[in-house]
Amino acid sequence: MRNRTIYLLLLPGALFLTIFMVIPILLTIGSTFFNEGSFSFEGYLHYFQDKYFIGILLTTLRVSLVTTFICILLGFPVAYYISKVGTRTKVLLLLLSIFPLLTSSVVRSFSWMIIIGKNGVLNKLLLSIGLIEEPLNILYTPTAIIIGLVHLFLPLIIITLIGVLENMDEDLLTAAESLGASRLGVFAKVVLPLSMPGLVIGSILVFVGSFTAYTTPALLGGKQRVISTFLYQNATTLNDWHTAAIVATIMIVITLLVTIIMNQIAYKINPKG
Amino acid sequence: MALFTLENISVAYNKQNILQDFNLEIEEGKFVSLLGPSGCGKTTTLRLIAGFLESNNGKFLYKGKDYTKVPVNKRNFGFVFQNYALFPHLTIFDNVAFGLRLRKASKSEIEKRVASVLEIVNLRGFEKRYPKELSGGQRQRVAIARALVIEPDLLLFDEPLSNLDANLRENMRIEIRRIQQELGITTVYVSHDQEECFAISDQVAIMNKGIIEQLSDPATIYNYPKTKFVADFIGFKNFIDFEDQTIHENEIELTKSGYTFIVQKNKENSDTDKKVGAIRPDNLVIRPIQGPVTSTKNALPGKVKIRTYLGRSYQYIVETPIGDFTVNQEMLVPYQVGEEIILEFPANNMVLVK
Repeated sequence: MRNRTIYLLLLPGALFLTIFMVIPILLTIGSTFFNEGSFSFEGYLHYFQDKYFIGILLTTLRVSLVTTFICILLGFPVAYYISKVGTRTKVLLLLLSIFPLLTSSVVRSFSWMIIIGKNGVLNKLLLSIGLIEEPLNILYTPTAIIIGLVHLFLPLIIITLIGVLENMDEDLLTAAESLGASRLGVFAKVVLPLSMPGLVIGSILVFVGSFTAYTTPALLGGKQRVISTFLYQNATTLNDWHTAAIVATIMIVITLLVTIIMNQIAYKINPKG
Repeated sequence: MALFTLENISVAYNKQNILQDFNLEIEEGKFVSLLGPSGCGKTTTLRLIAGFLESNNGKFLYKGKDYTKVPVNKRNFGFVFQNYALFPHLTIFDNVAFGLRLRKASKSEIEKRVASVLEIVNLRGFEKRYPKELSGGQRQRVAIARALVIEPDLLLFDEPLSNLDANLRENMRIEIRRIQQELGITTVYVSHDQEECFAISDQVAIMNKGIIEQLSDPATIYNYPKTKFVADFIGFKNFIDFEDQTIHENEIELTKSGYTFIVQKNKENSDTDKKVGAIRPDNLVIRPIQGPVTSTKNALPGKVKIRTYLGRSYQYIVETPIGDFTVNQEMLVPYQVGEEIILEFPANNMVLVK
């Protein structure tokens, strides 16, 4: 009896998600296969032949992957350090590191515009110390989008990595060293494989977040479209909901694919993770 | 000649000295245990030898070479951890092969050596399993195999059996001793279990507050503890602080509050600075008061204060004019609480310590 009633606790959440998420998604996906009342793949065929769209798709993928990669590189040392300090310092550092998530992405993006703009702080500084002669063109490029996204998503990877690093038995690292491993060897053969669960979750969060981000690329990317700004443009400016639905479906499929691939890589590195 | 030496080593954690001017010499091929209560510095000593922590000053010499600054991964010492510290993401084979792969051994050599070391610890056929799928005893044997396979110059054990249940512990200590003797590897073993250390070691070092109180073979420690701490640690529960001491040819005469005690002389107790008498509860004898008085020496009048049934014997706390004594005595009809008795101290069972 108890076992059966306990499932009732799931009901409100499940109902909510079904009505407001599952059904709309299925309807959206379903609608993409109908063109003026008849079933067809035409919408998709059209888009995969469109060089402009493929360009946007590839840029978005590249931006997301680079962002994920940079987040891992920057996040790992930070997470490792935070996982080793005392409880009070840890709480403080954790708060500091999730701070970007607590500020509005509009505010954050405008701050970056001030920093990396043509007459921005960064260019002025570099010009004044004579490192460059012409102002750098960073704003309104994929690089600007990457900078903004890294700033936004770095906390996610730090938090998930702290989770696994905190639980890692210190003796395992010492054991590896006593068997002859260098610091680098310990990292590659023990720390990295054992961090895989956190690394995968963190990477997926960052990737999916970057892939679907709207505000940051819209403000920092300028004319450089990414897939979500493209979708927005189709839906609202051009009022082409059919195209928007197709783009949305493509986004969902790619997100799923990348998630699966990342899981596969993780399994290769640490089959027990 | 000593295989390795710790010379005037000092280690401090958070400004608190764990070891100060610590000295230890260990001979090649010997199995030496560091035994003591928690916080005595035994694990610190072991980790220092392994290179996991650095001394503030002092020297660590290995075969006459200065090893003080040699990093862990260049020492070639095998370390077995209390919690096994097996790599959870690797199979048993890969765990054991870990050190060999780092040494760039060839594939066939790795296979051969892993197989032979798994043979030694009786774990052939477990190569493809993961640590999670093994029992505690099996995991500890994998840990030993992993440390052995690199042919270490020194084998270090940090309380390796304390996570195992009692039966397994006894089997494993026999195993460890067998493997050590078979391979003749110099071994340092840390434990807080007295019986375990005595059963397994050539030599036992009893440690207290960062110093070695006594380093001898197990039998010497058991029979002739040198200090009060050692005596207490290995079960001499009763102590008498004597006031006066006269050394005769075959015996030593001691006095306390007017009572005289005779202790038989042997090579271990002729130091004049040893004036504390120690005796085990099993060696004290309680005698009824109405019996014939054989001697006024080595005897105290007393009264039974507390009686506890231990199964094999009764334990009494006896109140005497010079303090309380604990006595274990096997008997059918026990003495009653409050009963006046005579407490005897057999001359050949009392030792003198510092």
